[in-house]
Amino acid sequence: MTFRVRSGKKGLELRLHNLEATIMDVVWSKQLTSFVVGDVLAILEKQREIAYTTVMTTVTRLYEKGILERERDGKRYLYSPKLTRAEFMESTAREVLDEVVGGHQAIALLAEKVSEASADELDDLEALIQKRREELES
Amino acid sequence: MIEATFPLLGTAFVVLGVLPAFALVAKAGLVLLERQELGGPLHGLGLRYVLLTGSSVLPLAWLLSAGLHQAETGKSALVCLFDHDRTELCFEPGYFALVLAAAVLALSLGVMRKHRGARSSSTAATEALIARLTRIVASDPALACLRGRVFVTDETSFALGTHGLLKPRVFVGSAFAAHLSDEMLASALGHEAEHVRALDPLRYLILQLALAVNPFGRFLLEPHAVRWQAAREAHCDREAVIHGAAPLPLADAIVRAARPAAREVVALGARDTTVLKFRIGMLLAFAERAPARCCPQGASAFPVAFVLLLIALLLPHRTGTAALDVLHTGAEHTLTYFWR
Repeated sequence: MTFRVRSGKKGLELRLHNLEATIMDVVWSKQLTSFVVGDVLAILEKQREIAYTTVMTTVTRLYEKGILERERDGKRYLYSPKLTRAEFMESTAREVLDEVVGGHQAIALLAEKVSEASADELDDLEALIQKRREELES
Repeated sequence: MIEATFPLLGTAFVVLGVLPAFALVAKAGLVLLERQELGGPLHGLGLRYVLLTGSSVLPLAWLLSAGLHQAETGKSALVCLFDHDRTELCFEPGYFALVLAAAVLALSLGVMRKHRGARSSSTAATEALIARLTRIVASDPALACLRGRVFVTDETSFALGTHGLLKPRVFVGSAFAAHLSDEMLASALGHEAEHVRALDPLRYLILQLALAVNPFGRFLLEPHAVRWQAAREAHCDREAVIHGAAPLPLADAIVRAARPAAREVVALGARDTTVLKFRIGMLLAFAERAPARCCPQGASAFPVAFVLLLIALLLPHRTGTAALDVLHTGAEHTLTYFWR
């Protein structure tokens, strides 16, 4: 599986388009090991207005990208994630590291300061961590 | 032919030709390693480091040793190194070794000057934080290697980092720590503990020096060095979680450490933000499923590097110095060609 890293994006969206990332987030968070398109639709409909065909197209795209696998179950497909979230992030590492060309220094710091222009991005990352924390606690 | 020809032209040949050629070979190896599908990008960090630094350090060690050896023709390594009181000295290779050593020193000065540790502070205000950090370190067996090695600094722009080459110490910025919970601090210290265990400040400095002494080859290796360092940081995150650090508090601490201080000059481009996002993404994933150890912790890197360095130093004394002769005659022929 190879993906292009999407600059200006965070988390899953580094490699997936917005809806793809949302669907995979649902699959991993709700621990859906075997599901049909309708299962994902039911969860997404609670958060936003979305058409069945849109979800179906995106799920098919995720299958074509090798992130989901599927097997026929009568007239429908049963989907399951091919990778855990951790495995997916790990497999993203190469693409992310390929993108890195900036300067570095001879000191081991927890994190280097990023420009003030990215304060919003840091806020988003903090919100993402908070959301994850709430998900795990619930 | 004047005696300065070989020392000066030979050193120029090394800097302009030999080291960039080695950098090119190392780059080919690094590209192959980085493209290897097996194992993922956090594997092979030790080998990549040896290629990055060895491509400068090993040829320089060989050339310096060969120069000394030719200056005292045919002597064994120990005689060459310790017994200089002989009349059989051949000055040119000796001068070459001296000029080369001076060039290496001059090129290294910039890095050495920039390499500055944080200053520890011990005021009444920091005493409470020191006590808090001591308690956190004492209560977590995974942080045992940090006992007596955690210091507090009042430098406002400093968040958290490891300094010190042979005996690394962790410095915690008092302003940064004030906004962190104990769990966040413990997790962040877990990340730094991996830097301490692996002597990473020394590794990073040697890497910087190896690039600095190869000014015409460093552009080939620099992107790989940056990638290596980013992968090393991700490796430390993973090791911290394996040793028991909580992934989400560590992710939180990393984001807070990345926030620029009010009046600080910023130094990082958007692409490095991508690495930050990746590290956070990886830790969010670890919160769901704990990681397994993927790769060796690099404990063998320093012994291997030391053995390679020793071989490079001893090789000229055992197998001859023909390559230096080629360099010597090449330098003199070049001068003769242009002199005509």
